[in-house]
Amino acid sequence: MRFSIFQDSRQGDRKGNEDRVGYTYSRDVLLMTLADGMGGHADGEIAAEIAINEITRRFQQEARNKLRKPSEFLVSAIQSAHRAIVSHAVAHNMLECPRTTIVACIVQHGNAYWAHAGDSRLYVLRGGSLAASTQDHSRVQMMIDAGEITAEMAARHPERNKIFSCLGGVVPPQISTSKEFQLQLGDTIVLSTDGFWAQMPANFLGSMVAKQALVQVMPGLLTEAHRRARGESDNLSVVAMTWEAQDDGRIGDTQSMDEEFVSSSNTTQQAGAPGSVEEDVTEEDIERAITEIQDAIRKVPR
Amino acid sequence: MPDPANQPLPSGYVLNGYRIEKPLSSGGFSIVYLARDEKDTPFAIKEYLPNALPLRKEGTEVVVDEANQALFRHGLKCFFEEGRALAMINHPNVVRVENFFRANETCYMVMQYVRGRTLQFHIQRHRHEFNENFIRRLFAHLMNGLREVHTRKLLHLDIKPANIFIAMEGRPVLLDFGAARITLSEESMKLKTMYTAGFAAPEQYHSEHGELGPWSDIYSVGATMYTCIAGTPPQAGDAREEKDRIIPLKTLARGDYSQSLYDIVDSCLAIDHLKRPQTAFELQKILLEEVSPEEKEKGKKSIFDTINQPLSKLFQR
Repeated sequence: MRFSIFQDSRQGDRKGNEDRVGYTYSRDVLLMTLADGMGGHADGEIAAEIAINEITRRFQQEARNKLRKPSEFLVSAIQSAHRAIVSHAVAHNMLECPRTTIVACIVQHGNAYWAHAGDSRLYVLRGGSLAASTQDHSRVQMMIDAGEITAEMAARHPERNKIFSCLGGVVPPQISTSKEFQLQLGDTIVLSTDGFWAQMPANFLGSMVAKQALVQVMPGLLTEAHRRARGESDNLSVVAMTWEAQDDGRIGDTQSMDEEFVSSSNTTQQAGAPGSVEEDVTEEDIERAITEIQDAIRKVPR
Repeated sequence: MPDPANQPLPSGYVLNGYRIEKPLSSGGFSIVYLARDEKDTPFAIKEYLPNALPLRKEGTEVVVDEANQALFRHGLKCFFEEGRALAMINHPNVVRVENFFRANETCYMVMQYVRGRTLQFHIQRHRHEFNENFIRRLFAHLMNGLREVHTRKLLHLDIKPANIFIAMEGRPVLLDFGAARITLSEESMKLKTMYTAGFAAPEQYHSEHGELGPWSDIYSVGATMYTCIAGTPPQAGDAREEKDRIIPLKTLARGDYSQSLYDIVDSCLAIDHLKRPQTAFELQKILLEEVSPEEKEKGKKSIFDTINQPLSKLFQR
């Protein structure tokens, strides 16, 4: 399996960076993950971090050579990430559960599979244009789908940040999965947070990555996306790969490895954390009532 | 939190071994505090302190003057009813009472402190996330608790989003059984205005309470589901009896819900109580049986079999 990969996460104009990105691969299978911890919620970066770590942990446990059912794996791993976030919040007596979006992609045997919850996106770019993408779990996307607003209006809509699926929420995540997507030579898969995609039209991105290698073009695009936000940039994160070949005789990125995982992420923690009343009430009545209640409390097993 | 007419206990005050941390909420008849015991375990302590009576202007002692004595004692009896009711119930979907005692010339009920937020909070903040599946499962799960309450021959009579707690792991917990006894009593009007407009069944507004039954709680559950979808409670029950101007749920819904869910909410909100689901069990059954078509497709056997599992498990696909 041959591919080139790029990832970066930038703070933008925010006080902190609640985005987490990561990838990990063995000889035959690659996982890319990206999570946008939600601002306005307690410790969004914790949720993002747990999500990346938990999905990575599951992947390394179950993807020795390849995954038998990649889409099912993704759904199951994302659900366990959700549970890990909730358990963390409970274990740490947090008043509110932190939340995050998630998008994750698996590549094996020349096929890509992805799943997401929220408004972090995945694009498949082919020959300069968009070949496939995720549909945001957002209020504005629903309005677009219903024909109420256009994509242009959505970009300025006051509720554009409202999403209806995420990890860590009181409502368990709604997870959307892709069909098996067959990759062609030169296809590029880009996972990004809204800090990046909101400033970078997919077709423009497609034409840029068609001309140059990811490592050459992406840093400039991140800087450009940051600049376009005019001092109000959200965190910007990208993890992207360009598919080069399934089998390649030459020395490839992943050729020398045997069931070992190479991983990279911007997370800091280790993976795996994961009646009726007539008469007056007398003093005796009060004392008797209290005694009765205390007895009842003692009698009922707790 | 509205400004309480009566002074709350100061933080740091030690009450029968519990250290008061802060007031959590104050209602018509009580103040609820967050407190911790010697082992630092948190509890929610409810102090009987009717808002309508001037009882504590300073310090910690409750001082009841002669004129208000009967009223105060009467309310206290209601507070005992709530304590008795809750002491009998040990159910994950009903708040648990851990202790009950007298101090400061009033009474205190120590309850389990549930970490999480009220459904009201979630409606205000996260309503856009409430999909059909979530609403069906949440209320089906809550019905486990309500069934237990009704089994004990009790009525809640004040079910509303502010009285439903969602524990962090997703479990709904029914709170505040204070209203039940009070509305059932024939005593002074001064202590009686306990219904919450929009959530109380029409029959709760009548002076005779003969028509009250599990179906009255079902009405309130329907109004709560209505609020989850619409963001606003339905027209008040008494006003509806005069002229029903309830806005059809469908026109207020911003999400994508099935007709069968609207029909369930409508049936719970029937003005004629005989037209509502008559028991919590019946409502639970229709919430779970009339599942969305996509779930039917998945060929799940009966999700009804799983109602006793933790809520978090029910949500797995």
